[in-house]
Amino acid sequence: MTSTTSEPSTTRAHGAGPPGRDGTRPAVVRRGIVGRLASGQSSVVGLVLLTIVTWTIFGTVGSGFLTSFNLYSIGQLAARDAVLGMAQAILVVMARMNLAVGSVGAICVSLLGYMLVDAHIPLVLAIVVVVVAGVLASLLMGVVELKTGLSSFIVTLAFLSAYGGGALLLTRNANYEITSSVLGRLGSGTLVSAAICPLVAVAVVCGVVVWLVYNKTAVGWKMLAVGANERAARASGVDTSRVLLAGYAISGLLCAVAALMEASYELNVNASLGTNWLLPSFIAVVLGGVALAGGDITVAGILLAAVFYDSLQSGLTILNVPSYWLDLAEGLVLLAAVVADQMRRRRRSRVRRARRARLALGGASPA
Amino acid sequence: MSQVLRAKWLPLLAATVVAGIVLGIETKSFGASFNVYVILQTAAFDAVVGLAQMVVLAVGDMSLAVGGIGGLVTIAIGNAVDVHHWPVGAAVLAGLVLGTICGVVNGVVIARTQLSGFIVTLATGSAFTGIAYGVTSAIPYSSVPSSIVSLSQGRASFFPYLLLVAFGATALVGAALRWLPDGRSVLAVGGNRDAATLSGLSRSRALVVAHGSSGLLAGVAAVMYMGVLQSATPATGTDWLIISFAVPIIGGTALTGGEASSVGGLIAAVVLATINDALIVLNVNTNAVEMAEGLLILAAVLAGQVGRLAGLQGRAHETGRPGSRRRRAAGAAAGGAGLDPVAR
Repeated sequence: MTSTTSEPSTTRAHGAGPPGRDGTRPAVVRRGIVGRLASGQSSVVGLVLLTIVTWTIFGTVGSGFLTSFNLYSIGQLAARDAVLGMAQAILVVMARMNLAVGSVGAICVSLLGYMLVDAHIPLVLAIVVVVVAGVLASLLMGVVELKTGLSSFIVTLAFLSAYGGGALLLTRNANYEITSSVLGRLGSGTLVSAAICPLVAVAVVCGVVVWLVYNKTAVGWKMLAVGANERAARASGVDTSRVLLAGYAISGLLCAVAALMEASYELNVNASLGTNWLLPSFIAVVLGGVALAGGDITVAGILLAAVFYDSLQSGLTILNVPSYWLDLAEGLVLLAAVVADQMRRRRRSRVRRARRARLALGGASPA
Repeated sequence: MSQVLRAKWLPLLAATVVAGIVLGIETKSFGASFNVYVILQTAAFDAVVGLAQMVVLAVGDMSLAVGGIGGLVTIAIGNAVDVHHWPVGAAVLAGLVLGTICGVVNGVVIARTQLSGFIVTLATGSAFTGIAYGVTSAIPYSSVPSSIVSLSQGRASFFPYLLLVAFGATALVGAALRWLPDGRSVLAVGGNRDAATLSGLSRSRALVVAHGSSGLLAGVAAVMYMGVLQSATPATGTDWLIISFAVPIIGGTALTGGEASSVGGLIAAVVLATINDALIVLNVNTNAVEMAEGLLILAAVLAGQVGRLAGLQGRAHETGRPGSRRRRAAGAAAGGAGLDPVAR
């Protein structure tokens, strides 16, 4: 089961080395595209269709869904969820998980609040420190995983409460009222049209960078290889520890970005930010078609999944569904997504097996 | 006896007892019989929440829905008593049945889809919490039946009656895992899934049994919590996640499945509750407690691993082989490759 799902990416990973270093990999490229079509693209098409259907339904049934105001707030939330999803996906790709996304976010936002409100540090410097802190906090979890050989689940679970408690402890539950106009314009200004929040651009930039990492850099390919088959990757000379740490670092960076994004539109923040990040981060990953077994990523899928998910939330709110029921909707969306994804993967591996069997028969008959 | 001496929780317990004695001498309030009662009351509740996770860990899975089920059961009982005026016994029974059903649903979905419990229970747990919030619109039922309250708050000097519930649950779970066919097959499937299926055990059945009992235990914990809090709030369970993992892990239950230490869990619960209370008595910020729990989880898992590694290294030395390779393998088996909750 694992071997079949991760097959496309294994082939990609075996194309090895930084892509573009040699011009002699047409076969690999072709298989890569086939693999990508099989594993990712179908979920992208499905998500586009789902989003169109959702928008059509809510646009006709609910009043005010397709107004620029509502689309703006969908974009605002979806941008953060997309970045969150990518922070989670980086570790899922390596067949790991990050339960501490929210707690790393809490550390980042606490630092931001302290520096801007209490210490009056210039915004640019504060942002740099926050990003570095996010990277370091996440790296520490990677180091602990490597040094102890424990699973990422238990390490990040422990840091979930250690970081979360630590952030609350150090800030003494303080509320920070952020007054920076630059951040405010980023989170609540407009970009090009009144329906687009500048944060959408931030999310797209993050998406492009992540896509480039996985498609154009050696470390990205190595991360895929580690996720597809860690032992094989190590045997073929990949320094898995370094790759793992790189993954944790990038994940922490994205957590910091997500924290900055949320701070930029909430403006009144405290260390309890991030307590409900876990579920959206996994919804974006699973809905986006990223294999939970690792070795595979669809950046476009994650971005679209965030848009679909926040459209659904917004639509339900517009239909006057009490907000108390939204947790239930979240849970059901995730459940439906994992079950559907699992069925799709099973069907695909069945088709592949059937095709292989037919090929084997065809090859045997002339002889 | 030698088994007790080798138990992973022993150093932790010893440290806690010593710290407890010191605190008892240094501060007046810590050793007071009311304070001991509070510690043991918290420990009793923690122990049952830990058991709900432990039975699932035993089958080699995990449940993030323990808290969600707890919240839903709380609301169901509160609603039945408060709105529909059911007799207390019937309401509690219905709540426990509901908890079991929720757990069984988790087990069936996991068995049918072959997905990891992590992602399925992340989804269902949120759904259960959502139902609890949706039904009540986040407003708690404040009239908790007096019989539940008197059970939860009752005590003989420093001994809370709730501890009896925890003892009972611990004994039942321990006995079921040791002697009942279904309990043994839970451990067998958790220990080696393929071997267990090849020898005719049903993995699906073991998953359903484990998750079903987890749901039942979450329900029991919900009843206890309701009485302690004297309110049936839908927020019940939202902060159970860490404690549910901390108790079995510190108690020495392996995350890889196949073994479970219910007594260890009970002792871990006492240790955690004592630390919690000591920090409060010493006027440390309550948020430090949350932080301490996380670090304790890591410390406990590491301590368990060091013990295991020491054992393996000793054996490697005897056979004259270099220990380093084995050590790496052991590290992987003890948690690295063993627990791979998303990758199935």
